[in-house]
Amino acid sequence: MKSLATIREGGAANWAFRIAATVVVFALVLYVPTKTGAGTIQTAIEALVLMGAAMSLNLLLGYTGQISIGHSAFLGMGAYTTGILVSRYGWSPWYTFPVAFVLSFALGVIVSFPASRIKGVYLALVTLALALVFPQVVTWKKLSWLTGGGSGLPTKDAQVADTGFNIGAASRGQMQYFEIFGWNPLGDLRKPDNKAAFWYWIAVGVVVIIYLVCRGLVKSRVGRSMVAIRDNETAAAVMGVNLVATKAFVFGISAGLCALPGCVTAIKTGGVSPEGIQSLTVRGAITFLIVMVVGGAGSLWGPIIGAAVYVYVTDITGGWASDEAIPGVLRPFFGWAKIPPSDGIFAVLLIVLMFVAPRGLVGVWRQYSPRIVRVLPRPAGTTGAAPVAIAATITNTHSEGEHE
Amino acid sequence: MELFFQRLIDGLSQGSVYSLIALGLVIIYRGTGHLNFAQGEMALFCAYCVYQFGEWGIPVWIALVLGMAVGFAVGAASEVTLVRPISKKSPFAVFVVTLGLFTFLNWLDGAIWGNQQLPNSGVGSKQQSYPSLFPNAPDDFWQPFGVTIRYERAGILALVLVITALLFLLFNKTKFGLAMRAVASNTESAKLAGIRTNTVLMVSWGLAAAIGAVGGVVIAGLNSNVNLGLMFTVFIYGSAAATLGGFDSPIGAVLGGLIIGVVENMASGYAQEWIGQDMKLSVAFMVILVVLLFKPSGLFGTAKVERV
Repeated sequence: MKSLATIREGGAANWAFRIAATVVVFALVLYVPTKTGAGTIQTAIEALVLMGAAMSLNLLLGYTGQISIGHSAFLGMGAYTTGILVSRYGWSPWYTFPVAFVLSFALGVIVSFPASRIKGVYLALVTLALALVFPQVVTWKKLSWLTGGGSGLPTKDAQVADTGFNIGAASRGQMQYFEIFGWNPLGDLRKPDNKAAFWYWIAVGVVVIIYLVCRGLVKSRVGRSMVAIRDNETAAAVMGVNLVATKAFVFGISAGLCALPGCVTAIKTGGVSPEGIQSLTVRGAITFLIVMVVGGAGSLWGPIIGAAVYVYVTDITGGWASDEAIPGVLRPFFGWAKIPPSDGIFAVLLIVLMFVAPRGLVGVWRQYSPRIVRVLPRPAGTTGAAPVAIAATITNTHSEGEHE
Repeated sequence: MELFFQRLIDGLSQGSVYSLIALGLVIIYRGTGHLNFAQGEMALFCAYCVYQFGEWGIPVWIALVLGMAVGFAVGAASEVTLVRPISKKSPFAVFVVTLGLFTFLNWLDGAIWGNQQLPNSGVGSKQQSYPSLFPNAPDDFWQPFGVTIRYERAGILALVLVITALLFLLFNKTKFGLAMRAVASNTESAKLAGIRTNTVLMVSWGLAAAIGAVGGVVIAGLNSNVNLGLMFTVFIYGSAAATLGGFDSPIGAVLGGLIIGVVENMASGYAQEWIGQDMKLSVAFMVILVVLLFKPSGLFGTAKVERV
């Protein structure tokens, strides 16, 4: 394969690329809350929630190979934990994040015990059932003293307005307006209705935390055990990987992380109920899976790209149920459909990608970007930072042996 | 006691619908070893088609046969164009493709017929309620010993038993059934023995979807309307039935469906306070979990021996 240019890993050109990419990402993250309206910010929060959920699912499915269509239940754990603690016990939403993580972690570990005996599609079946049972459990009349039954919970009532989402109890309602070179990343928080930007930053924080945890985990010893389990469970066990403990840990972490976007959703939506938050239902769980596979299973950036593309397309095509909203060229293709086409588009994309690029959009990028610029890996042992080079080699080997 | 028999009868007829979905799952599983997540949505698509045929004034039984034909075509086409090529890659890829099919069919139903319940006078449906295969007027019942047996429910149970009997004959008394069993037991050897395994697999998928179509029409008839979310829970009940009966046993699927139906009805009837209508699904969930944990081969399935 010929490439137009070749650069060395760790060289000046490589660093320039890295810095440019980082700057673009930062600029994009900063651009949304400062230069766009509340509607776009809300959409961006949805994308961030989806990113978080898909990343945590990726840890379990993409890296460990355990199929789950039940992550909506874990997201729901987070949403309900926040909802219950805020509306029933008057907690500040800040403290509900760690509680949600711990509770969902525990649920994930419990689910993992059957999972260590149940494999493959059977596990998918069990988790699918979990996703379908969860909304029934939370709307169960016997639990309505806790979960509010069918009508769900408010999280944006008088109590919440009082607790606020401002940093620290003492600074209640005291968040100051501040600008960076004329940009106002936090929005004007003195207005009660202008919290979209603030929720946005919470969502960004959650996604960054999930990304860092995933990254740390994947590049660690546990991460290598996970990939070993995915690629060949028997071989992993022979090599000394503790299957039960690793699966339990990954299930727990994945479930716990998935609860965090749930908390964000609860805060943003201002109410928790299966009707109000689609991500709590089985459709949500399927969406996470679609996002993850379309973006690229088993890669750190896959779910992020996938969620961005998903929300972008869904947002654009959202009004396409009425024919006038469809741009002229596309009208013959989508004009007949009575509902917005995004689900159909992504279903087809999912199937097509499975045939041509099973590693998703990130896989396509990895396959074709070397035709333009090829990054030569640093020869092992040539620099002072030898362990780094070795770690990089190991990661590469693992990500290549992905779909056997 | 009357109440007990009442619930038994209701449970059996409810369970017979689950049997139909489970049968479809089992036929596919026996042939290819895949779990078809789109089974319920294929059935839903056929149920929508039957509604459409009803709108065009086609009598319900003819509409059912046409719906089954549509189901056969959808199932066979999915096997040939999607599942067969992708199954060479990995089981995970097959799972994702069936899930993609699930989403796509659900979207397609919504795109063609809209996301409201049908029939719906708001969108100009001519029919009052979803076409029922059996008489279902309020006074169409039979009451021996104080147990109310509605003709509709009795008819459904009978229909399922007839389908099961026909399948039994197909599997055990025809050459094609022999070929199907041969493919189920060992595809490679079947191929060497001159069986056209590809045709067998294609027909298996078609057959499964056609049987599912009957299930879809029946459940929509019981529900008196058809909507996009109709099959989510039915699919779970159906897979619980298949799990309970054993994924490779057709007779197990039928019995599993009936058992699940009865247990579900008994549980929601006798534990009205705790389970009632709202928590019925947890029964199916518990069945799946317990069976997979303690007897993964189900009641009638053959235990899978794993060689390392």
